[in-house]
Amino acid sequence: MSQMITIQVNGESFTLPAGSSVSNLLASIGSEQESVATVVNDQIVRPDNRASFRLKKGDRVEILIFAGGG
Amino acid sequence: MDSLHIGSYTFSSRLILGTGKFSSPGVMLEAVKASGTQLVTVALRRFNREQPGDDLFTPLTSIPGITLMPNTSGASTAAEAVQAARIARELSGSPFIKVEIHPNPQHLMPDPIETYEASKILAKEGFLVMPYIPADPVLAKRLEEAGCVSVMPLGSAIGSGQGLATAEMLKIIIRESTIPVIVDAGLRSPSEAALAMEMGCDAVLVNSAVAVAGNPPVMAEAFAEAVAAGRKAFAAGIMEKSGIAVATSPLTSFLGTEA
Repeated sequence: MSQMITIQVNGESFTLPAGSSVSNLLASIGSEQESVATVVNDQIVRPDNRASFRLKKGDRVEILIFAGGG
Repeated sequence: MDSLHIGSYTFSSRLILGTGKFSSPGVMLEAVKASGTQLVTVALRRFNREQPGDDLFTPLTSIPGITLMPNTSGASTAAEAVQAARIARELSGSPFIKVEIHPNPQHLMPDPIETYEASKILAKEGFLVMPYIPADPVLAKRLEEAGCVSVMPLGSAIGSGQGLATAEMLKIIIRESTIPVIVDAGLRSPSEAALAMEMGCDAVLVNSAVAVAGNPPVMAEAFAEAVAAGRKAFAAGIMEKSGIAVATSPLTSFLGTEA
């Protein structure tokens, strides 16, 4: 079994295999079909970079969408 | 064609619609279509695994001719607003940003200092910055000089339905501005939108008045008609007020009388 790491996703603890990318994270939480923006430790990760961007223990990830607003 | 020009964009509709507070995404989308709007505001929110249908990007951008204007709602400092704007641009593919910084949820009045700082930074980064501001002519001019493409002074508090409480200040802003002035917030009824346009506003931004109406798509259409009528009246040249009566019918040569 691969080693697991814990990160923060939208303020909540989330555990996933070490070496996972941002793309892997999106797939595991079911948001790969959505139009989302991803931010890791305040750094914007563009869609093109999500597959190669590896997450580390303790990373703070924000996954954002457009919702209704005035 | 009497078009609204903002930055390099041209819009035939002068009604900007907010997408918050609707009873469902379906009703909101119907209202957007009925309004004929070409520019809609959206807000950044955390993705929620429990509610995957919340994302409005795809349904809104599948309506032909719609451009998104994300807002920075939720930010209470310039730094937070700048970060929100950069994230929003990644998602929207649109250079428009509504800078909205209100630190106090009790009154939601925009913070002029943080709004100015954020707008200045974002304008330098190439955003088309449309700040939501108090109806302050000095601030409006400073934001214009900082490179904003529009200013959006409030008519009254967000969601209050108190209409054009700031009308006299708005008139000064309109007179002094060389960029479009858009009344944002507080409008309750189409007649208020028409009045704003008659005063010379370039557009209005409406959300609550449509979203909480009994029939949002019909109200959206009513606002669109009012905005178009008000603009047409402004362009046609509205008569001056007079302190005395001025007859519209001849007062002489009536029957047997001689003047």
